[in-house]
Amino acid sequence: MTTDSRKFDFRKLQAGNRRKSGELLFGMGIIVGAVVWALMTYFGKSGVAIVPVAIGIALLSVWGSYWASDKIVLTMTGARLIDEQQNKQLYDLVSEVCVAAGLPLPKIAIVEDNAPNAFATGRDPEHAVIAFTTGILRVMDREELQGVAAHEMSHVANRDTLVSAIAATTAGALAILTDFLMRIMIFGGGDRRDNRDNQNPIALIASIVVLILAPLAAMLLRLAISRKREALADVTAVQFTRNPAGLRRALEVLQQDTTVVKQRSTSVAHIWIESPLDNSATSKLFSTHPPLSERIATLKAMEGLS
Amino acid sequence: MNAIVLVLLVVIVLALLAVMSRNRLVRLNIAVDEAFSQIEVQLKRRSDLIPNLVETVKGYTSHEASTLEAVVAARAKATSATTVADVAAADGSVTQALRGLLAVTENYPDLKASANFLALQEELSTTENKVSFARQFYNDNVRSLNQAIKTFPSSLFVNSAKVAARPFYEVDDPQDRKAPTVKF
Repeated sequence: MTTDSRKFDFRKLQAGNRRKSGELLFGMGIIVGAVVWALMTYFGKSGVAIVPVAIGIALLSVWGSYWASDKIVLTMTGARLIDEQQNKQLYDLVSEVCVAAGLPLPKIAIVEDNAPNAFATGRDPEHAVIAFTTGILRVMDREELQGVAAHEMSHVANRDTLVSAIAATTAGALAILTDFLMRIMIFGGGDRRDNRDNQNPIALIASIVVLILAPLAAMLLRLAISRKREALADVTAVQFTRNPAGLRRALEVLQQDTTVVKQRSTSVAHIWIESPLDNSATSKLFSTHPPLSERIATLKAMEGLS
Repeated sequence: MNAIVLVLLVVIVLALLAVMSRNRLVRLNIAVDEAFSQIEVQLKRRSDLIPNLVETVKGYTSHEASTLEAVVAARAKATSATTVADVAAADGSVTQALRGLLAVTENYPDLKASANFLALQEELSTTENKVSFARQFYNDNVRSLNQAIKTFPSSLFVNSAKVAARPFYEVDDPQDRKAPTVKF
């Protein structure tokens, strides 16, 4: 085994992806810090009072969808819960992955849609739901479906609903905050500034730049976090099944397929195994998932190890 | 005054670290126990399938008595095992006997086409997968526990947490060890 191939050991890859998504979340914290600094520079200390308000509004809007994510997503995607009798094989292979992951059995659902795709959500493993489209059940064999189930259960095991809720809350709070401040700056009250005369003009300009760029930076970081969590779920799936080939073949099937899930809402786009929004024309920077070709290449490298 | 506060803080942090390492060992040890009982649950499931399988195969075959007996005998032996090594050994012989039985069924198209057997086959393959995933999960847990026992700082609390290194679950499977044969 060469040093290079050891890079594709799943434990190493997991640690790497975890660290990177942690760093990205930390990056969002830094943006919040920068915005608070800009706020204090421009409006003085009294302006800080609106920070908890913005965070509060963002929390209120994200928290509900995080807490009831299983029920909300089922409604938004039109997924229908099934029991063991309705699809014995699907039920079996999900419960196999649960044994491998040491997780409780989630609710299993089916989405009537010809495009092959799948997703998982839920605030914790006890409230998890995993869903497959009728299309994916038709085009994939047992081994490929097991890879898909393992990828989805990895999202449950890694608490990705929580991670994305935190990212969404931060990005949301920043959007509210900067929007609010820009309005005040443009329409408003110079009288709100406490220490206008003592201000360093460079700091004032810097604070305006921070306020303009912060929401965009937060959005890009949020997408980067989503991509890292997808990559992590692929690797964790290999930890569960020790069979990179199953998931790799499943992703190849998705790559060849051109149909796209008929989405009712773009707000749940990021939870599918193959993004219904990203396509080859989308720049990687703006995608919720890493490119399929990159994911397949990583899994192939992992196959070389076993 | 400040020095006392500092010393107190250091002591509190150290005590917290100690409690956390010790609790981690206890938690890992419980995880190993749970993982082992999961193996036993799955082995029991497989064991419960065998009588039905044997009856179904018997109905379609005439001269496979010895293969069937091997499965029944392996199953009987597995029920008395308790230690990890014994359970693993018995598990290995049942796995092997079942594999022999399934190989034999290839010669009976009527059997393979029967609805009863098809349902059994899905049940058997999922159970076989669950057994092997449960073994893997157990071994991963043993690996974490044994690593924590050997590494600092949790290694300091091995005695106080009353934990010891646990054996891996190793199934003696001749098929795994056999080198792949290359044919031209």
